Amino acid sequence: MKHVHTVALRELRSLFVSPVAYGVLSLFAGLCGLFFVLYVAAFNAWMVQLQQFQAFDQLQELNLNDHLIAAFFDNVGMVLMFLVPGITMSLYVAEKNNGTEELLLTSPLTSWDIVLGKFAAGAGFVTLLVAMAGAYPGLLFFYGEPELGKTLSGLLGTLLVAWTYVAIGAFASSLTRSQVVSFLLCFVLLLVLMLLPAVSDLGMLGGGESLGAVFRWLSIGVHVQALVQGLVDTADLVYFAVMIGSFLLLTRLTVESVRWR
Amino acid sequence: MIEVEKLSKQYGDVMAVDSVSFSVARGEVVGFLGPNGAGKTTTMRMLTGFLPPSDGTARIAGHDIFEASLEARRAVGYLPETPPLYPEMRVEDFLAYVAAIKDVPRRERDEKVSRAIERCALKDVRARVIGTLSKGFKQRVGLAQAIVHEPPVLILDEPTVGLDPIQIAEIRSLIGELASVDAEVRQTVVLSSHILAEVEAICDRVIMVNQGRKTVDAGIDELTRDGQSLEALFALQSTSDLGEIPNTTENPR
Repeated sequence: MKHVHTVALRELRSLFVSPVAYGVLSLFAGLCGLFFVLYVAAFNAWMVQLQQFQAFDQLQELNLNDHLIAAFFDNVGMVLMFLVPGITMSLYVAEKNNGTEELLLTSPLTSWDIVLGKFAAGAGFVTLLVAMAGAYPGLLFFYGEPELGKTLSGLLGTLLVAWTYVAIGAFASSLTRSQVVSFLLCFVLLLVLMLLPAVSDLGMLGGGESLGAVFRWLSIGVHVQALVQGLVDTADLVYFAVMIGSFLLLTRLTVESVRWR
Repeated sequence: MIEVEKLSKQYGDVMAVDSVSFSVARGEVVGFLGPNGAGKTTTMRMLTGFLPPSDGTARIAGHDIFEASLEARRAVGYLPETPPLYPEMRVEDFLAYVAAIKDVPRRERDEKVSRAIERCALKDVRARVIGTLSKGFKQRVGLAQAIVHEPPVLILDEPTVGLDPIQIAEIRSLIGELASVDAEVRQTVVLSSHILAEVEAICDRVIMVNQGRKTVDAGIDELTRDGQSLEALFALQSTSDLGEIPNTTENPR
């Protein structure tokens, strides 16, 4: 696995000469800025309202972390759901279309070199996105007193979500030769992950409680919520590790399957 | 340098390659000849470790393609049918990347990249983005990525396809240089082609395959000794269903 960084660096360089990377970066910055401004405005309006009604109990409870930053991170997660597939769609598809798949697989690289290198490149890029998103709550520290710990754990949650999305997107990309299919496949997988708790809550499952519990555990929202609320629980961290790990394993299987098909 | 033992590849019911055996000595240039769909590309893909054989095995520079897959792959330079290129990369960056993943030590990379650029006459375009190059240049970049790590074995799948006559002549002389006794690392070359004149011009030996089976394995001089042209032999091989084969002297090498 000594070539993980070689593969990752090449991938990142190629990403940054493509217009996709800059499109995603500016769209993300724009959307995050928009959501942030909207939430700050909503927070202000709410505060003014509570003061007018002299609802001091509720005013006491109102704080930047739970009523602004949490909602903001929630939205960042949503935006990532649309943008990460755009970043990951070409990870493997481009290799197949360039014919460089043959170069990679006939070089003395292990499958892990390829799979981890590509994941590292995607994860590196989304880390940049999450860092950009983190700058907005960072601004609040100049004007108010949000809790640092809670903000950081929320940021960590968002980062883990982004990495999970990359692992899923890379897997989707390894399955097909078309960028469009790769994008849609990734998006559908992410959507399913998001909607799982809703399905289990609707009680439409015949499986009863246990199946519902499995669905809730699988869904990404439940785990990121805890982190956004400032609860760094090992169980949630394990969830993200399991998700990323399994999708990397699946990707490795599809990459290897070229050899055995 | 290359020893192939009963190599077979089966796709469903079709035997794409059927128990092909041959060996190639160091410094030899062997032409792999056959009609389209004869199993040339499949055989080359198995030798380079891209496809696993259904049966049989091969050794590259003494490394078994199964048991010592990484070592075998390190010993091979491979130019597939379509040159594997990243259109968004610059020529020299691409070659440096290939050198890196082929395990060329960091301090030797610049030197080897420069040498490959020189050998393939890419000096004028070394800083150009690959996607903007003409087909001939792209093919030469493809050849450069195959030789950049100076492997003992070169496997070239139709190296001159799509080139103009001058470029073809250049590539031919380059292949001749690589395998010549004076070369620093004397390379063994296996190239496929369906252009007979080409094989006759650069190869010492011809291996003909048809319908997945080896039909001829002999030196060029032996084959053309009786005044028989390669064309006639090729036409015969391509049409006859492995019947009587004249002039197939097993090559002792």
